[in-house]
Amino acid sequence: MKRIFIDPTKCDGCKNCSLACMEAHRQDGGTGIYTLDLQDPSNQSRNRILTDGKGGYNPIFCRHCDIPDCAGACMSGALQKNMDNGLVEYDAEKCAACYMCVMSCRYGVPAISPDRKRVIKCDFCAHLEEGPACVRACPKKAIEVREV
Amino acid sequence: MERFVIIGAGAAGIRAAQTLRKFRPEDLITVISIDDTVHSRCMLHKYLGHERDAQGISFVEADFFEKNDITHIAGEKVTKIDTGLKMVYYGEQYSAPYDKLLIAAGSGFFIPPIPHFREAPNVFGFRDFSDALKIDEAFLKGKRVFIVGSGLVGLDAASALCERGAQITIAEMAPRVMPLQTDDYAASIYQKAFEAHGCKFLLGVGATDAVVDEKGNITEVILATGEHIPCDFIIMAAGVRPRIEIAQNSGIAAERAIQVDDHLRTSAPDVYAAGDCTGLSGVWPDAAAQGEAAAENMAGIDTVYEKPYPFKNTSNFFGVTMLSVGRLDLTEGAEILIHRTPKEYKKAIIKDGKLTGYLSLGDISNSGLYLHLIKNGIDVSGKTDKIFRLSFSDFYGINEKNGEYAYSVS
Ligand SMILES: Cc1cc2nc3c(=O)[nH]c(=O)nc-3n(C[C@H](O)[C@H](O)[C@H](O)COP(=O)(O)OP(=O)(O)OC[C@H]3O[C@@H](n4cnc5c(N)ncnc54)[C@H](O)[C@@H]3O)c2cc1C
Ligand code: SF4
Ligand code: SF4
Ligand code: SF4
Repeated sequence: MKRIFIDPTKCDGCKNCSLACMEAHRQDGGTGIYTLDLQDPSNQSRNRILTDGKGGYNPIFCRHCDIPDCAGACMSGALQKNMDNGLVEYDAEKCAACYMCVMSCRYGVPAISPDRKRVIKCDFCAHLEEGPACVRACPKKAIEVREV
Repeated sequence: MERFVIIGAGAAGIRAAQTLRKFRPEDLITVISIDDTVHSRCMLHKYLGHERDAQGISFVEADFFEKNDITHIAGEKVTKIDTGLKMVYYGEQYSAPYDKLLIAAGSGFFIPPIPHFREAPNVFGFRDFSDALKIDEAFLKGKRVFIVGSGLVGLDAASALCERGAQITIAEMAPRVMPLQTDDYAASIYQKAFEAHGCKFLLGVGATDAVVDEKGNITEVILATGEHIPCDFIIMAAGVRPRIEIAQNSGIAAERAIQVDDHLRTSAPDVYAAGDCTGLSGVWPDAAAQGEAAAENMAGIDTVYEKPYPFKNTSNFFGVTMLSVGRLDLTEGAEILIHRTPKEYKKAIIKDGKLTGYLSLGDISNSGLYLHLIKNGIDVSGKTDKIFRLSFSDFYGINEKNGEYAYSVS
């Protein structure tokens, strides 16, 4: 099982991770940061870099929790902890957009889609063989995939 | 080899079955349910709205029972338990022995004692798949629907049927829709959304009587005001009651709900209860969590179940999304903060430096921490100027052991 470990002291708030996340999940078929529509809410990043109020940054990434409250709350079976790879996986086909998962994640990770029909949450870039795009984009090694 | 029997195939029963299978790969697990199929009640409206089929509203895979080697006795009603012989009785004459038993029978809808309502064949609940089937059939014959109650269940039914061209009247005793989850403003937004889809609301009035035809079907509902509302059928969504009949028939302690201790044990040895029937909460996440905790205890893993925080809900009707946590009704001596823009409405209730209620209408993304703050009574004094923009960054901490997060609160 893998998890993205975070060292907030190394983060300098460049948000390369967020751009990489948006790029990795864009639906318009384009590639390259220069054609990415940053204003389009359907391109929103699944991670967020927030200020800590003291000049530093606090990266907020889905923890793919050992005991995921989001999946525990899911009434459709759309969110499930995959015991083989440890990921909390989301199936948009099953999702009923009830948003109990949004309410139940104490870290405020899940977001709702602009059309109010889906949930937007980290999928560990399951479609990319090389693994999470955010981690590869981070110039500071503030986020790293580690085995847990 | 131990024999585990679970009564009920809802949130609590199925989660319990999954948990038992996880810890007891070899033992016998049997689920008995009146429900023919597994389905999520929270998605019944998707079936009734003809958006999904029966499997589409299931929350487990179609081969769940085979794959997990669990026996499902479907479409059978448990009537009684012999807690001395350790035997469950179901159907006309069947019985099943158990070593450990879980009652996860959920709750049933309640019909207030209004003349004719309890006997009329065209008065339906909206809880079970069978209810959705009955409503579907009735809808073939008439499209004038009278719904009693404008809580989440009533509005679920209304949203499904109005998409299919029903003529819907919703009667609500309280002065606003979804009275438990909203305030007047939030309620008005939902009311408008439903009215725009053709629903009619009667607020602050109750049904007091009815006109019936020769078969006993209600053809007109008579309101407290004396007004007559013609209808083809009625959906009751004015409250639920924990299902306690099994316990009552079996000498298991139950008053309004089945009594459980902090391990979800009932008064009878080796009999546990979980979900809506315990009366501890009435939402899916809590029912499932109780099923899991009870199953762990049944499997011999000592698990204390902490009382849930039941005041929490989300809703999404016609794309109008809302998060409602805590007690919006308890405002005495509290500070009330409101944020309103054309697209958003937020309200925070703060008492003695702690959030006691939070309502958010609009984009509810990333708002899960408000439940955590309220449930755990976390101090937010000093943060009230940004109460609507709080995030986990304000409580940031990392669990160095496993890389997860941990709340840091002073
Ligand atoms: C229309 C509707 C919408 C809802 N929407 C939401 C929502 O959006 N979010 C949310 O959190 N919650 C929602 N809820 C509440 C949620 O569905 C319940 O809290 C949850 O289903 C409770 O789970 P349970 O396992 O305790 O009981 P149930 O899911 O009700 O299951 C009870 C099971 O017991 C069986 N049973 C009962 N009596 C017997 C008997 N005598 N013998 C054999 N079997 C028996 C039934 O057949 C059923 O399988 C909704 C409820 C309804 C009705
Ligand atoms: S969404 Fe929240 S609860 Fe779910 S796995 Fe991610 S961090 Fe954990
Ligand atoms: S919004 Fe979808 S994923 Fe989230 S709890 Fe509801 S059904 Fe599950
Ligand atoms: S890419 Fe790395 S340094 Fe830049 S914001 Fe993200 S975590 Fe921080």
